[in-house]
Amino acid sequence: MLQAQDVRKILIIGAAGGLAQILIQMLHETYPEAHIVGIDSRPLDPSANQNVSFETFRYSRGHFEELFREHAFDLVYHLGRVSHANPGNQLSLARRLDLNVIGTSRILDLCLKHAIKKIVILSTFHVYGALPDNPVFLDEETFLRASIAYPELQDVVEMDQIATAWMWKHQNQIQTVVLRPCNIVGSRIKNAISRYLLSPWSPTPLDYNPMFQFIHELDMARVLQACITQVPTGVYNVSPPEYIALKAARRAIGIPGIPTSLFVLSHLVGLYMRLSKVELPHYIVDYLKFSCLLDAQALSQHLGKDFYRFSIKDTLALLKSQAGPLR
Amino acid sequence: MSKPSFDPVLELPDNAAEIFAFLDQRYADAPDPWGLERQTIKSALKVLWPLYRHYFQVRLFGAEKVQDRPYMVVSNHTGQIAMDGVLLYCAFLTQIHPPRVMRAMVERFVTRLPFMGTFFAQGGAVLGDRQNCQYLIDHGESLMVFPEGVRGIAKNTRDFYKVQSFSKGFYRMALIHHTPIIPCAIIGCEEMYPYVYQPRDLARKLGIPALPLSASFLMGPLGLLPLPSPVDIVLGEPIFPPRELDPDAPDKDIEVQVAQIQATIQEMVRQGLKNRRPFKELMGLPDQRDV
Repeated sequence: MLQAQDVRKILIIGAAGGLAQILIQMLHETYPEAHIVGIDSRPLDPSANQNVSFETFRYSRGHFEELFREHAFDLVYHLGRVSHANPGNQLSLARRLDLNVIGTSRILDLCLKHAIKKIVILSTFHVYGALPDNPVFLDEETFLRASIAYPELQDVVEMDQIATAWMWKHQNQIQTVVLRPCNIVGSRIKNAISRYLLSPWSPTPLDYNPMFQFIHELDMARVLQACITQVPTGVYNVSPPEYIALKAARRAIGIPGIPTSLFVLSHLVGLYMRLSKVELPHYIVDYLKFSCLLDAQALSQHLGKDFYRFSIKDTLALLKSQAGPLR
Repeated sequence: MSKPSFDPVLELPDNAAEIFAFLDQRYADAPDPWGLERQTIKSALKVLWPLYRHYFQVRLFGAEKVQDRPYMVVSNHTGQIAMDGVLLYCAFLTQIHPPRVMRAMVERFVTRLPFMGTFFAQGGAVLGDRQNCQYLIDHGESLMVFPEGVRGIAKNTRDFYKVQSFSKGFYRMALIHHTPIIPCAIIGCEEMYPYVYQPRDLARKLGIPALPLSASFLMGPLGLLPLPSPVDIVLGEPIFPPRELDPDAPDKDIEVQVAQIQATIQEMVRQGLKNRRPFKELMGLPDQRDV
């Protein structure tokens, strides 16, 4: 396990994201002497702190390796998965495969080459797929079936599989933690589920009511930080112990959405999304039909049962109170 | 002149207060991961109880054999719409003390169904896989298992009340947790749809598990309603799986035990048919007592 005093230089890939910004702030407070370098293809405001620096470029570019040569990083966070679910980021599957799969593979090889002590990779629970025959709680051994049901998630699944295969292969040289979190929500997270929950035009299923898990952005950032010293090499589902039915979640947020039969909608999803101007990926309809609950006991063994600060009600209430800008 | 008031509350069983208190106490703390909803069960009971009590005139035999502990209730599967499961569920909720919500282990296709899949889940049904089964038993829930699966309900008239071959998974789960098994025979559901033919090839081509065609369908949409066949539910003596038998024992060892349970239930069905009420004669249906 990495010790706190070993953390001197940290690289954060995907530093412009909301979660990464929270993490950088937390890491800076916990390790004020550590130098944090954040990179992203999206523009980043210059940091006011001299120990935090940002650079704008894609991690697939050639000069990415220069960064590793210049800085002897101890720790790397790979939060830079390119999401196909973000509006304005509708890259083709081939391009996303290139960035997410080839790019991740490149990051991992560079970490090994430059003797990084630990790498933390953020995957997603979407890799399991929302399927009607999912067992009630999916543990880390469960097959990743998302890309069978939804080919557009192929890059997400392949990225996870590459990371986990690489992790076991090099477990004696480098500590690797792969995290598969449930739905991350918060004021700084602009993901598909936040847009779905906060849109008054999004469909609320009449004919299904799956269970959902949510983790607050601050809790998720705390998990990422705790991975440095508390979590050994492995793949971990990340979720607080609570779960809630979708309709109850929408009631808690106070945005009821449009009552719709998802059975009908699944055949008209493209048209509906265009007319309602709700920019959501097509596969999310199945995540609104069938539960995809995580068994996160493996991580809890390292972090403790009372690690999470936000209950599911707090998380949804905070999302509700901060709903304005996203509507 | 005042408007006539409509009371949406249909008849409830006499022990409704006890049932509701049980639901509130048992399922209040955290949401059920499969989606069981107390309020849905309470509302459904207002419809189920009149059906149970008056329409199907259900008689329950052997209630005194059920103790206050989790069980796996293993039953024959009959009829074309799994009404037997609904009535057995209602029996354990209303006529067993203390009341309990039987967690029905359902087939995969049920979880896919819009509206119905969610309604069943809100009533307590779960996908019948090993992990779900284990989780429920660990949490002290009682299970309702129909080891015949779709084979049980998708029978032609000539096969009514012939118990089809049992799957073995339930017995291994009972072995793991030493869960006592209550054999159950349900008599009366086969007659809800008379003269049934199952075009199995057509059902397979349509991708559905069964396609029952009944003579009652000649009556049009009205024929979809199950006939008010009086139903008997018979609970047998609990069977305790032998502790010395390994849950991972070879199939041949498990098959012996499962076959015994299947034979027990078939015998209970035979006895139950002798004791049935005379609905069949009223409907002019062929006698099934010689099964």
